[in-house]
Amino acid sequence: MRLGAFFNPTGHHVASWRHPDAQADAGVNFAHYVELAQTAERGKFDFVFFADNVNVREARPEALSRSAQYIANFEPLTLMAGLAAVTRRIGFVSTASTSWNEPYNIARKFASLDHISGGRVAWNIVTSSVDGEARNFGRDRIEDHALRYERAREFTHVVCDLWDSWADDAFLRDKESGLFFDPAKVRPLDHRGRFYSVAGPLNVPRPPQGHPVLVQAGSSNDGRAFAAEFAEAVFGNPLTIEWAQGYYADLKQRAATFGRAPESILIMPGISTYVGRTAKEAQELYDEMQARVDPVVGIEMLSAVLGVDVSGYPIDGPLPELDRSHVGSQASFDNWTELARNEKLSIRELCLRVVGARGKSVIVGSAVQIADHMQTWFENGAADGFNIMAPYLPGQHDAFVDLVIPELQERGIFRTEYEGTTLRENLGLARPERKPRREAAHV
Amino acid sequence: MSKRQMHIGGFLGGGAPTGAHAASWRHPKAAADAGINFQHFVDISRTAERGRFDFVFIADNAMVREASKPEALARSAQYIANFEPLTLIGALSAVVPRIGFVATASTSWNEPYNLARVFASLDHQSGGRIAWNIVTSSVDNEARNYGQPRMWDHAERYARAREFTEVVRGLWDSWADDAFVRDKESGIFFDPAKVRRLDHAGAHFKVEGPLNVARPPQGHPVLVQAGASDDGREFAAEFAEAVFTNPPTLEMAQAYYADVKERAARFGRGPGSIHLMPGISPIVGRTEADAREQFEYLQSLVHPVVGLEMLTTLLGADLSGYPLDGPLPELERPRGGQSAFDNWTGLAKRENLTIRQLIERTIGARGKSVVVGTPSQIADHMQTWFENGGADGFNVMPPYLPGALDDFVDLVVPELQARGIFRTEYEGTTLRENLGLARPERTPDREREPVA
Repeated sequence: MRLGAFFNPTGHHVASWRHPDAQADAGVNFAHYVELAQTAERGKFDFVFFADNVNVREARPEALSRSAQYIANFEPLTLMAGLAAVTRRIGFVSTASTSWNEPYNIARKFASLDHISGGRVAWNIVTSSVDGEARNFGRDRIEDHALRYERAREFTHVVCDLWDSWADDAFLRDKESGLFFDPAKVRPLDHRGRFYSVAGPLNVPRPPQGHPVLVQAGSSNDGRAFAAEFAEAVFGNPLTIEWAQGYYADLKQRAATFGRAPESILIMPGISTYVGRTAKEAQELYDEMQARVDPVVGIEMLSAVLGVDVSGYPIDGPLPELDRSHVGSQASFDNWTELARNEKLSIRELCLRVVGARGKSVIVGSAVQIADHMQTWFENGAADGFNIMAPYLPGQHDAFVDLVIPELQERGIFRTEYEGTTLRENLGLARPERKPRREAAHV
Repeated sequence: MSKRQMHIGGFLGGGAPTGAHAASWRHPKAAADAGINFQHFVDISRTAERGRFDFVFIADNAMVREASKPEALARSAQYIANFEPLTLIGALSAVVPRIGFVATASTSWNEPYNLARVFASLDHQSGGRIAWNIVTSSVDNEARNYGQPRMWDHAERYARAREFTEVVRGLWDSWADDAFVRDKESGIFFDPAKVRRLDHAGAHFKVEGPLNVARPPQGHPVLVQAGASDDGREFAAEFAEAVFTNPPTLEMAQAYYADVKERAARFGRGPGSIHLMPGISPIVGRTEADAREQFEYLQSLVHPVVGLEMLTTLLGADLSGYPLDGPLPELERPRGGQSAFDNWTGLAKRENLTIRQLIERTIGARGKSVVVGTPSQIADHMQTWFENGGADGFNVMPPYLPGALDDFVDLVVPELQARGIFRTEYEGTTLRENLGLARPERTPDREREPVA
């Protein structure tokens, strides 16, 4: 099984920062991240994952000022550069948006990071979905869903082709003859598309991994189509195994239509694990975390995952029928409204379900129970691995590494040593060949 | 009272990772793969730190350099393919604890929100050791990587740079230094009265804010600039805290120094708030003859095709049709790099240089000042400029790396220290403290006005 450690600065629980052992200043504390990354490497995680957004989350000031998430923290690309320098084997996945960047800059930064880290980076491709980000980039609102994905598709093609600017063996560096590179082994891109016009070549040699690993997380129809074409790891957030199995089968099947083998696209759902030495201890931890949630923050959080403001409705009443036409993530909206309907949850009850992990799947238990859950999903067509979302940091990350990892290793379903030196090698993904010139010209 | 101290930066990479000399990469003591060799950068940054340099400077461009002849390009290691500077300094600052890092980033090919964020983040990551070298970009070749056939004109680029820089500084001031309370008991993470939107709407940018990074440890990362044109000087006078230029003679350096300090005064800035740090490419020998021999050896490594190409790039004019041993013809002034053009055509005219002679003068350090001599001769040169209104410090551009940096740190730095004009220990923990620059206060809410 593959494992990623998905870090929110103080942890994934909405009240994470208030835990007595949480590093409340995590967003500006580099030493904290060094510790997390080194612990993850000790646990033989495939990678550390940093999500990203490009704004201060919007909410009523009263709710926002009580929250530590998506407020102010490190920029992920430069953060992972720093972390790559103080680790040796673990990979790093960072989000970067196709809406607020230039493809030349993104191609360059990831190629550079891949060289800095010796082939240990991956790009989580997001299209961005909130108007608050758009307003930091000269626009009033984001583009509509389909257009964003068209843009993302062209952007990703351009980036991959820029990574192929130089042949792997283009640089001779022959001091004797004075020839630094072979001019036959570099080519411009000369891309002219609907959204971008990029001459190339890239001013970074071909990355050690050929291409940094491509990751994606969208689960809408457009998102799945995109993942099937490009993604080598997919971070979904299914709440039930049935849904996860459907998603897993659908993505592998869609990937096959692009001529891709099932093992070339790894499905890694996010799970938020509350680990205790006993089931009782884990449950106490969970209850303790939930008890720290301010109702103001809970309602605001639910509004965010739904994409609809629910602060005007009675908190102990049912979730009313809501309009989904303007929500950012339809998949998230559908997941949560369906759950509320099926289990007849009040708004307050739904809030507490959501806040546990910012809308991700929550598992509370002993190492054995958590390993059971993971193994069940892993062996029943629901997951190739998981993105582990510790509820607070560093404590619950340490607990996962010290308690759950040995249990998984014991069962023979998780590595005890890294297989290779690059992220691709550890994930079992092939290194992409440089495309012959004739295929590279236009999208 | 202690003597006035000079500041030293190491111009160690970006586009010229193997060193400043055109043939640097062919030198036996050069790391030819420096552009993608992270350990090389760690080693040279540590050497610079051992030499108590203020900072390491990573220059940048956003393209593969163009050449009229592919053969010239294929024989060159400069501005071809190498690390991206922001990710590079992110990694270096994690393993090199005291020295500062300056990286170039262009106001033409970035969004101000993204750059404000990256530099703020790096400043937190490094504990306040970061500076931004603001460039406007000047070549069409870069424009074509960003959907534009040509560069904007000079004035437009600077107008954009000015607004861009104002937006970035405004974003850095989004949060008060003490905005984050992080009170676990009461549940208040930050004080909402201590954060504000920017709500900037100008001619080039519209940015709402606030920035999603806390105020940087230095308040603002240090601002650096290198333009020497009239627009460039005006920009430097308003914004820059360190200025990197390349005047070929002391007289030109003095005139430039006086002019920029005077312009800065008009913005209400004291002379100590803007450091002029010309580039210097030192070739250090045990004896003068040894240094001279080293320089000639380096020059001998330059292929003639490469030399002519470099001069062509420096002047922004195609010289391939003219005889190498004839005079420099009258050339049209280019749209970008006008000050380099004026400096070098002026020099050729004054000294009646042939094209070949001009090539020999320029290739030494890609058109930057080469000083060849013993440690004490090089220290003399630096001290003379430093004590005669030519410089507040220097950007040292070793001709090849790592060898020539080792020589400078081992031989010249002790000489400067012995003369009492360069530090033996860092003064502070942040780059600002070491440069003797004040930490900017956050602008009060009420003074904030729309820019441009």
